[in-house]
Amino acid sequence: MTVWSWKRRLGGPELSFVDSSIYTDPEIFERELEKIWRKTWLLAVHESELPNRYDYRTLTIAREPVVIIRGEDDQIRAFLNVCPHRGAQLLRAPAGNLADASPSGSAKHITCMFHAWQFDAQGQCKAIPRRRAGYQDRLECADASLHEISCEIGLGGFVWVHLEGNAPPLKDYIGQAFDDLRPHLEAEPLEVFHHHKAVVSTNYKLWHDTNSEFYHDYMHHFNRVTGMQQPGYFDRRYTPFPNGHVTVSSMSVKYDAYEHSETSLAHSRDLSFPGLEQNGWKVLDLFPGITLNLRGSALRIDTMTPLAADRVLIEFRGLGLKCDTPEERRLRVRDHNTIWGPFGRNLPEDLLGVTSQGRGMQHGSQPLHVLHGRREHSAIHDEVGLRCYYAEWSRRTERSARDPYSSDCVDWTLAHERRAVGEAE
Amino acid sequence: MSSLGGELLVHERRAIAAELVYRGAAHLDERNWDAWLALATDDFHYRIGTYSPEIKKQMVWLEHDRAGLEALFALLHKHHSDHALWLRQLTLQQVEQPTRDELHAISQLVIYATEFDVGDAHVESGSTRIFAVGRYHDRLRRENGCWLVAERYVQLDTRQVGIGTHNIL
Repeated sequence: MTVWSWKRRLGGPELSFVDSSIYTDPEIFERELEKIWRKTWLLAVHESELPNRYDYRTLTIAREPVVIIRGEDDQIRAFLNVCPHRGAQLLRAPAGNLADASPSGSAKHITCMFHAWQFDAQGQCKAIPRRRAGYQDRLECADASLHEISCEIGLGGFVWVHLEGNAPPLKDYIGQAFDDLRPHLEAEPLEVFHHHKAVVSTNYKLWHDTNSEFYHDYMHHFNRVTGMQQPGYFDRRYTPFPNGHVTVSSMSVKYDAYEHSETSLAHSRDLSFPGLEQNGWKVLDLFPGITLNLRGSALRIDTMTPLAADRVLIEFRGLGLKCDTPEERRLRVRDHNTIWGPFGRNLPEDLLGVTSQGRGMQHGSQPLHVLHGRREHSAIHDEVGLRCYYAEWSRRTERSARDPYSSDCVDWTLAHERRAVGEAE
Repeated sequence: MSSLGGELLVHERRAIAAELVYRGAAHLDERNWDAWLALATDDFHYRIGTYSPEIKKQMVWLEHDRAGLEALFALLHKHHSDHALWLRQLTLQQVEQPTRDELHAISQLVIYATEFDVGDAHVESGSTRIFAVGRYHDRLRRENGCWLVAERYVQLDTRQVGIGTHNIL
């Protein structure tokens, strides 16, 4: 193969593709943090992870340390997890409760271990040691509150955060994309039963791409036999929404088609979610990197923290209903783990796939034209989900995903997708 | 008291547990699933779990009965996975004998993975990393004069296992 033919794009001019530089270039990655991750609503945790007053969770968004706390008024708030005094990170544990005093501070307070400045669970500064002696009248506690960021609870009891303090409402960002899942996820309070993390050597968008197309079911023996070879599979449809979100309609998965059906790998899955058909399977992919995957008895949530152009932290959660009996919960956990646990049938394969992409596309290697061009009337192997995502990506980054170094940010092959969701070009 | 009286001497308990646990680990390293299952009872129960401080819950990550494990092993060749070589290093910590025909053994576990085809194999193949650390909690049972593993709970300290695996631990 000659260099010329390698660089030549596959197919004709109407075949959608993106330049692989968007997955590898550190400068584009920095632009994404600034233009996307600092300016969108992100699913941070579920409210069941903060069941008690003074419970907290910490995380990082676009390199900003963030803490989410349930206050003594039961309200959940989010702050930058940084002391305004000298910039030290305040709470270091991934989760905890403020009820116990820290070595240098009072109970029910966040105390900076460095100089013992103290803050309450509403972010108000309550104590500055020897304040008057050192600052006289030049600094009051009221001047030193924690930096609060936008925080909303919704869409199944998830805690959403936005780094900007006065972000537009979450419902405006999600729009109608959640409507298909709402009857199943808001009929009963949910509860997290599974959480694990993976730091993967790939670009974060490649994971979202994987979650946004089912053509890769060819990789999964489990999905081929329980899904692709079953009635209804090719009837599943993608529906795009404004802001880069997309949903996938349901099918009834035939779990007992997996061989050795007498074993727990394919036990009858009678348990479901409220209003969901038995063994139904719906997906919602939210820009820029959140997936809600409701399959049979378990809800899986993927969230991402991009670490570098070629490195991402992915967090996986499994959820059931808060009202589950112990036996129901055991079944949900089993069903979840069979497919999606770290020892499950599918998850290691998906992660192997994107790791392979991370290896195939590296910064400085020969740029590729990565195809997103399958058009099958929005059916399950159509790649409309990818095209919608990159239409939104281009709008926000002001770069064309197919030519990210051009001054012309309009990607005409994506115009169809943007018209389909009613967005201006 | 000697083994003839029912309660085993400490060194006898440890010898029985070490033989089963260490021999089992060698079979797992060799991916000789049949030989490993031959050391287990018909009602064998297997679990992997860990505690999540993030959600403040004990989690079960894998759970199978013997039939489930047999199916899992039988279907492995139909699934993609990395092909790292695993070495399970075990240290038997304690062995107790709650009843005449039962032993409880706890072993420290370190799993080393020697890379083959993940990442840049040109660079990384042959390098070794720690996949996970934790403990085996084994319940051993004497059946017809033969000691077998009736239950294994793998309690992981490690909560990040990279891309995951289709292996058992």
